[in-house]
Amino acid sequence: MEQDVKKTEQGSNETIIEVKDLRINIKVDEGILTTVRGVNFDIKKGETLGLVGESGCGKSLTSKAILGINDKKCKASGEIIFDADGLGRVNLLDLNPRGKEIRSVRGKQISMIFQEPMVAFSPMYTIGAQINEATLLHITKDKKKAREISLDVMKKVGIANAEKRYDQYPHEFSGGMLQRALIAMALVCNPKLLIADEPTTALDVTIQAQILEIMKELQKDFGMSILFITHDLGVVAGMCDRVAVMYLGRIVEIATAEELYANPQHPYTQGLLGSVHKIGTKNQDKLFSIEGTVPVAMNLPVGCGFYDRCTKRVDGVCNVYDPELTDAGNGHRVACFACTGCPNAKKGGKADE
Amino acid sequence: MLRYIGKRILLFIPTILIISFVIFFVIQLPPGDYVTSYVASLSAQGEVFTEADIAYLRQSFGLDDPWYVQYFNWMKGIITEGNFGYSFNYGRGVWSVIMDRLGLTMGVSFVILLFQYAVSLPVGIYCANHQYSAGDYIWSFIGFIGTATPNFLLAILVMFWVYKATGQMYLGLFSTEMMQNGMSWQYVPEFLGRCLIPLFVIGTSGTCSIIRTVRAQMLDEQARQYTLTARAKGCSEATITYKYALRSALNPVVSGLAGSLNTIFSGSTVSAIVMNLQIQGPVLLAALKSQDMYLAGTIVMIQAVLVVTGMLLSDIALAWLDPRIRFSERG
Repeated sequence: MEQDVKKTEQGSNETIIEVKDLRINIKVDEGILTTVRGVNFDIKKGETLGLVGESGCGKSLTSKAILGINDKKCKASGEIIFDADGLGRVNLLDLNPRGKEIRSVRGKQISMIFQEPMVAFSPMYTIGAQINEATLLHITKDKKKAREISLDVMKKVGIANAEKRYDQYPHEFSGGMLQRALIAMALVCNPKLLIADEPTTALDVTIQAQILEIMKELQKDFGMSILFITHDLGVVAGMCDRVAVMYLGRIVEIATAEELYANPQHPYTQGLLGSVHKIGTKNQDKLFSIEGTVPVAMNLPVGCGFYDRCTKRVDGVCNVYDPELTDAGNGHRVACFACTGCPNAKKGGKADE
Repeated sequence: MLRYIGKRILLFIPTILIISFVIFFVIQLPPGDYVTSYVASLSAQGEVFTEADIAYLRQSFGLDDPWYVQYFNWMKGIITEGNFGYSFNYGRGVWSVIMDRLGLTMGVSFVILLFQYAVSLPVGIYCANHQYSAGDYIWSFIGFIGTATPNFLLAILVMFWVYKATGQMYLGLFSTEMMQNGMSWQYVPEFLGRCLIPLFVIGTSGTCSIIRTVRAQMLDEQARQYTLTARAKGCSEATITYKYALRSALNPVVSGLAGSLNTIFSGSTVSAIVMNLQIQGPVLLAALKSQDMYLAGTIVMIQAVLVVTGMLLSDIALAWLDPRIRFSERG
């Protein structure tokens, strides 16, 4: 996947969104799950940031927190600074999740596509009506115009015979076509930021490639930024300018895609990359896998979250202090005491209670 | 769609014929017939019947034919002349007996049906939107009690309380004066007042169960991915609740309507007896007890027709509501 990926021009350093110390707690019967534990990142204009991690590491919660569409049980704190039209620079977390302000952001300025296109549409309404709803909400009240705008986007995402498809219901669409329709719905208002939550996970590989291609092309046309969430490292390499690796509610490593692949620093990242199957490798050994399982994010012990599973752990350090993201040069930041790139990793405070 | 409806209506005829046959067979199954029970009740009062009298009665009612001949004659009467036979109990045509009570039965039942949906839909939606709130708990409590309490018991309790409170015994929908003087406008307020108790009593259990259904369905639908999509699109919570969740949640509610048509016709039997309501249910019960077979047969058959019609109507309503059903029917 080394084709003509559009990389951010060095010039455009305008930050679209800035997430600072995002924490999400979920109240459950057994106690409080600390699912996201202080996440920091920003996304530049036109940039694609990949958010990688295994299931349950908090990547979806992080992305939904941006739109304020997490379940009521999730309590988010920290800051998500977004330069919203009509609102100026706001902390999205301050907005009432059911209020008008956040709704003027959702779908219009930040929109989202989901993992399973088959269930992302209501079976009761035509695809056209559901795409059009976004158009009517945010762009124009004129139904004729809205229809034209919606049809136009449907054509752009490669839905053939859009006029006919417009009046069809979700169950008459294939998975790939539904994902295109979902992308059309997300892009119809020309958002500044598109959050793609594992948009290709539920699709077969051929369709995956098509969808990714469309997303890249549309990014060029629309000039938007993308937050690309996935656990598929192969997809990340082709799609993203920068990649943030999440583990247990934290970003453990963040770097440009090339840098991350060429020079992974965190043992977890190394493990992840080691477990990707490469076609053409002579080595017929078993694929590498990381020992152990992700701990439940409740009453976590002090120290690094990866300590139990880490191959490079240093007793007395890693199980006492929680590492913070530290610069390792080249815009590469890692949260690890043991990794080679940052021998002097700052010893953060003790882990959260 | 039209073809589908046509096909369904054609299927109607054999279904109804078979049902009528089974009904007739079952009704005449118990030993004896109307004459037996008629003679028994009159003998108890001291009348003396000779064998010849009984044979004459039986012959005059056409009861000495085998049951399938009776059935054939009955069906022939219905199809050729629209004659549903003769009610032994009432001493006149079955149809006129049914028509006596039809208006009132349908009026009462229809109002009850409206009451049920008018109360249960908003309450169900409220409970789903405020899951685990105080209001939800209160309504759930009322809902369970209402579903679990037999209507006739509730009827007795309510009548007792009303009697204690007002000193008036509200039995039936008409007061003695109304019966004597005939209906006129001056009685309308009292009549409406008298409707309240049956409305409340018969409506409760249905209302409560619909509340539970709507609440469960709404919660189900609100957890679906598409509500998240709609929210991410910038839709308001009201749009999500009413346009998306409610429309899908209505499916089982609409299916439930199928049975309602029959309920409208026959009304609630036991509660009607307790509250002395002049509706169809008690008539059927009496007819079955005395083996007044043409009356019983006709009422049950009309109920069957209504059930089948109700199903067709609710299928059409479902197809109108849910495009997935609409399209699968095409094939």
